[in-house]
Amino acid sequence: MGVGGAHDGSRNGHRPTARYSAFALFTRGLRKSPWPRAWRAHDLRPSYDVVIVGGGVHGLATAYYLAANHGITDVAVLDKGYIGSGGSGRNTAIVRSNYLTPEGVRFYDRSVKLYERLSADLNFNVMFSQRGHLTLAHNDSSLRTMRWRAEVNKLEGVDSEVISPEDIKRLVPYMDTSASARYPILGALHHPPGGTIRHDAVVWGYARGADAHGVHIHQGTEVTGIQVARDRVTAVRTTRGDIATPVVVNCTAGWSTLISDMVGVRTPVATFPLQAAVTEPVKPFLDTVVVSGSLHVYVSQTDRGELVFGASVDPFTSYSMRGSLEFIEELAGHVLALMPSLSKVRLLRQWAGLCDMTPDYSPIMGPTPVEGFYLDVGWGTYGFKAGPVSGESMAELIATTKTPEIIATFDLARFADGRLVGEKGAASVGH
Amino acid sequence: MSLTAVAAPMRLDAQPGEVIERGRPLSFRWNGAPRVGFAGDTIASALAASGVRVFSRSFKYHRPRGLLSASYHDPGCMLQVDDEPNVRGAHRRLRDGMDVASQNTWPSLRFDVRAANQLVGRFIGAGFYYKTFMKPQVLLPAYQSVLKRFSAGGRTSPDDPRDYYDKRYAHPDVVVAGAGPAGITAALAAAESGAQVLLVEEEHDLGGHLRWGGTEDLARLHQLRDLIAAQPAIEVMTNSVVVGRYDGNWLAIVQRELPHACERLVKARAKVLVVAAGLIERPYVFQGNDVPGVMLSTAVRRLINLHAVRPGHRAVVLSANPEGDAAAEDLARIGVEVRRVLDVRRGEDLVAARGGGGVRSVQCHDGARIDCDLVVTAAGWTAPTSLLNMAGDKPVYVAEAARFLPSRLPDDVLPTGGIAGTGDTDALIAHARATGAEAARRAAGRGEAVRIPALPAGRHPEHFIGRTHGMVDFSEDVSSKDLLSAAREGYDSVELVKRYTTVTMGPVQGKLETVNAVAVLSRATGRTIGETGTTVWRPPYAPVTLGALAGRILEPVRYSPMQRWHEAHGATPLVAGAWIRPDRYGDPAQEVRNVRERVGIIDVTPLGKLDLRGPDVPRLLNLLYVNKWSKLDVGRVRYGVMCAEDGVVLDDGVTGRLGEDRYLMSTTSSGAATVWEWVEGWLQTERPDWQVHVIPMTTGYASMNVAGPRSRELLQRVTEGVDLDPEAFPYMHVREGRVAGVDDCFMWRIGFTGELSYEIHAPAMYGLHVWETLLDVGDDLGIKPFGVEAQRIMRLEKGHAIVGQDTDGLTQAFGAGIDWAIKLDKDDFAGKPELVWQRDRDDYFVLVGLQPEDGSVVPPEASQIVEGRNVIVGRVTSSRMSPTLGRSICLGFVAPHLRAAGTRVTVQLPDGRRITARVTEQHAHVDPEGVRMRG
Ligand SMILES: Cc1cc2nc3c(=O)[nH]c(=O)nc-3n(C[C@H](O)[C@H](O)[C@H](O)COP(=O)(O)OP(=O)(O)OC[C@H]3O[C@@H](n4cnc5c(N)ncnc54)[C@H](O)[C@@H]3O)c2cc1C
Repeated sequence: MGVGGAHDGSRNGHRPTARYSAFALFTRGLRKSPWPRAWRAHDLRPSYDVVIVGGGVHGLATAYYLAANHGITDVAVLDKGYIGSGGSGRNTAIVRSNYLTPEGVRFYDRSVKLYERLSADLNFNVMFSQRGHLTLAHNDSSLRTMRWRAEVNKLEGVDSEVISPEDIKRLVPYMDTSASARYPILGALHHPPGGTIRHDAVVWGYARGADAHGVHIHQGTEVTGIQVARDRVTAVRTTRGDIATPVVVNCTAGWSTLISDMVGVRTPVATFPLQAAVTEPVKPFLDTVVVSGSLHVYVSQTDRGELVFGASVDPFTSYSMRGSLEFIEELAGHVLALMPSLSKVRLLRQWAGLCDMTPDYSPIMGPTPVEGFYLDVGWGTYGFKAGPVSGESMAELIATTKTPEIIATFDLARFADGRLVGEKGAASVGH
Repeated sequence: MSLTAVAAPMRLDAQPGEVIERGRPLSFRWNGAPRVGFAGDTIASALAASGVRVFSRSFKYHRPRGLLSASYHDPGCMLQVDDEPNVRGAHRRLRDGMDVASQNTWPSLRFDVRAANQLVGRFIGAGFYYKTFMKPQVLLPAYQSVLKRFSAGGRTSPDDPRDYYDKRYAHPDVVVAGAGPAGITAALAAAESGAQVLLVEEEHDLGGHLRWGGTEDLARLHQLRDLIAAQPAIEVMTNSVVVGRYDGNWLAIVQRELPHACERLVKARAKVLVVAAGLIERPYVFQGNDVPGVMLSTAVRRLINLHAVRPGHRAVVLSANPEGDAAAEDLARIGVEVRRVLDVRRGEDLVAARGGGGVRSVQCHDGARIDCDLVVTAAGWTAPTSLLNMAGDKPVYVAEAARFLPSRLPDDVLPTGGIAGTGDTDALIAHARATGAEAARRAAGRGEAVRIPALPAGRHPEHFIGRTHGMVDFSEDVSSKDLLSAAREGYDSVELVKRYTTVTMGPVQGKLETVNAVAVLSRATGRTIGETGTTVWRPPYAPVTLGALAGRILEPVRYSPMQRWHEAHGATPLVAGAWIRPDRYGDPAQEVRNVRERVGIIDVTPLGKLDLRGPDVPRLLNLLYVNKWSKLDVGRVRYGVMCAEDGVVLDDGVTGRLGEDRYLMSTTSSGAATVWEWVEGWLQTERPDWQVHVIPMTTGYASMNVAGPRSRELLQRVTEGVDLDPEAFPYMHVREGRVAGVDDCFMWRIGFTGELSYEIHAPAMYGLHVWETLLDVGDDLGIKPFGVEAQRIMRLEKGHAIVGQDTDGLTQAFGAGIDWAIKLDKDDFAGKPELVWQRDRDDYFVLVGLQPEDGSVVPPEASQIVEGRNVIVGRVTSSRMSPTLGRSICLGFVAPHLRAAGTRVTVQLPDGRRITARVTEQHAHVDPEGVRMRG
């Protein structure tokens, strides 16, 4: 069922936003006049055309594109905490498109393209820094996987190539590329368009953009149940009251099975914690993102000078978001194996987030057997970069009820039909 | 005037509690200029004694910064010391010859060009960077370089050496975090009750605030120290911090500046953790609160009493508590002119401090303006609840006490001292004494519970923010104004405001600023401090070097017993996971020819080997392999393929039956660890009733493969007790016997290389002997060693797939082209349901043999097989030039419509060229019938 016809799409109304610009910063600074709220708080309405559960990048992007591209503005985004409190505010913000399957490469490449113009589209600087992305190979089998990825990427028109240890040393002078290293570096997949982004800014930018189109963002609003009548979604129950709606979109990542369970849709998703850590700032020296699959570690440096580290998921399922000591010990060891001269740099903070892992490391997107209940889940350790393309495609799907080509292979039915989209080789460490 | 007086104009005469050793002067450099200090000085106290007031420039606005707390967590003096960045200058003890520099300055601390940022401050408030540089994307590098200039950290260099670090494990009954009077007392009480205690103190000496107190405090300090020294059950660690509390009271403790290592991580499994971390004095938020010369009362007392440094000449003191009053007294005692004490308890207040490089005057609530060079604030205390939070506590805010107090803790964590409540020293000590005794009791798990007296919350004015705006986060340069405007823009919960303004995210980790930030936010939103709540405190409590966390890298390299021989014979090493193996000794093609024509020997020790015993081994094998195992006679071996439960090929190898209930399973070298876990996983969780005992034997045997038409002849010369006649010891059999005089060797006849070959497993300690003997004895037969590369060529000639190379994370068994091995009529086996289902489909890529039409071209591995412009229909997984055939050969995946033998496919080479290859009849390119290996 399509949306938008039932209600007057302009019920919420646009509102003029205060445009951000250097000039506006200047004049407001002079006049000392404060900025308006980036997004507003509202009372809960008794009904919405579309209810999106989860105020992470996926939920907010979907809301934004529903409003901006399709004029569907009677939309509520619900989050049990604050927006970005899930994976979207905890990730290490790596954006890239050097995946392994043609479907994956095409999909993530579209997201990179959207990210490239997102600051301008949203009038919010999301600091997408395409500083380049290196995936190191420490043995011939990972070198082979890098070559594989490079070949698939090239065929899909994505810039990736395998480079030599000498080239790596040029890009990252701190790297120990000597043959005597414990895990010598044999080469790397270099992906120049990859990089990092300011994850919170993406969340806030989408929230502000959606709000400007009239979308309601409800923080501190937890979904506790979903009503289904004759295999159709009819309402959502929340801690702040019930909402009648024909469309519910599950954008809750690490918590997604709890929401899917509410309507009895089974998904092959399991939630695993993923940890990360950051150091004190040191003077910038690292211009690229560096990933080592064999050492289970990746590193980037923020513009502020902090080193951001991540790894692969914890080896057990859990909803706990606490860090462990083993994690930072192993992480530090592996960082020093790559860059031995950093031994005096201090680790400042560690944390964890939840990842909704699928068997093939690809997402699950699309309609379900319950009419009006849509999935945008299975984002695992890699879903932040997919925010824009997912929002765009989910919005199109909801507005037109036709599944866009670019997400067709990510349907739930693939697990029953044996059409997995295997991305483990490209996504298990370097998110 | 004496020389030291010139060099140290702010140094006081001897103070009763001073920790400096005046007889041990030290010299060091500060931004290039020579300076002096004493042993016992911190870098900052020595500098302050020499008259330095400005230690750094702030992160964003490059405002001059002086001392604030004069403790480890002082945001104003992060310094570069030699090659070490971000050294806490107010904590690190001075050493002779140190080269100390300020960090965030250019070109110099005094004239910092970027201080111009202050002028544009109102335009670059909270979140300004989100509001500009939005387009076009090409300008982005410009904004990045602007941001990078804000980076405040110290320097590293790619040439910095990696220092020595080590770790220690400790198993104390009780760990006491913090050695102020309460911590010391708790430690003593616990020890007296029979516990082994580890007492951990962040500062260089025990005693907490007693150290900078008056005569009475000092007397008590010495008494407590004497008691500790006399108590053998207490181990003391100073200059050490409990940085993390993880599940099961697994504690991370970092020791700093040991003689042999700059930091050490101690991992302690404590039965009980006593948190006696005291209280941290918090800054007061008012205009100019970050001007050098504005200090906390504890900073002033430390400078005077510990380091004999005069903090200023004319002071104004803002006091909300007795500690503030004591600071005023200290100042008066050393002759500082205390021009006014503003007593918060009487409604008096500070409005603003003025000055650039140092404070020059203050403005008071009554309009009075007082000239001064020192402003001291004693506005209240923050409980460092970090360790409690890590233990699951959610501290509650108590308004009358203007602080957070612990609420609910697990049984193995007990708070005491200032963090637990308020009281005079006697009350705190009584609490600590009971807590220590109770900790010991809980650690012992017996005895009668000790009643811990309740500590009152106490009274303290709620005095966080003044009537003007001031700095909240000194390390991040976030002011109360920034927090207000962020809240107004909608970033109005603690977590959002933290992320938007970066308040609490700097190197001080929120210790000084969190509660003030919450106070500002609660005022902005009209909620109470309790309702607003704090951000989540995340480990570590204090920063830890990567070196200490890493420790020594304990990832041993594995070598076979024959490694020395390989090195001596010029082998090129190959890193294969944990192992280093010979890749080749010379030309691999030559090595191949030697095997095919004469005989070669390869070291295959890394092959995984599991010794399986027990009556249920056949059931286990049937469960784990896709093929059948019930009827394997003693003396036979069989090749098997394992799948994971999703039907994806996991590993392969041969398993032999050595005796009635005794089997040896071999796995791929890279799969050895995984398969062991896999086997144990099934036995321990799914089939605990089966009688199978598993012993990993990989390194227990030295393994070598002797391959080639003359291998039998060679072995006949050195083998005893085994009839090598092909009738008696045919292909796919195993025998035990004596080889080269070594008993308990066994050999199996298998053929990864496709030649007649014997794989010999000799007890590891005799490996080198067996190896050398075979090479000696086989000299006239032309024996030569061969490496991994030659083996890979031969296995490709023979069409043997390598799991992980010729299969990938999605290759189910039918896709690997081993249909013959999959026995779907077996009751059950791992992956069966998926394979049953795969059998009925034909939509998967299949592994096939491929030969380029132009046999001189070797398509690199990972070359894609394409149709049309860019549709991917397969890829080359293995490719080599075959020395035996003199042409290129490959294995590769192809889409189902291309799998028939003879199909021509297009291979796109990495350089963009396209070639044609033909799908072969079978995987094997050489001797597909297997005549040679069966010979
Ligand atoms: C440490 C870490 C590092 C990562 N690194 C990267 C990376 O470098 N690159 C990358 O692309 N991806 C990375 N990821 C993955 C990425 O963060 C996630 O895939 C992505 O953020 C998912 O976004 P989302 O919007 O779907 O979900 P989330 O951002 O998790 O949002 C889900 C929201 O749902 C809300 N919610 C849950 N249940 C309910 C309920 N019942 N009612 C209302 N609201 C509810 C939650 O509060 C939450 O805010 C990383 C993840 C982690 C944890």
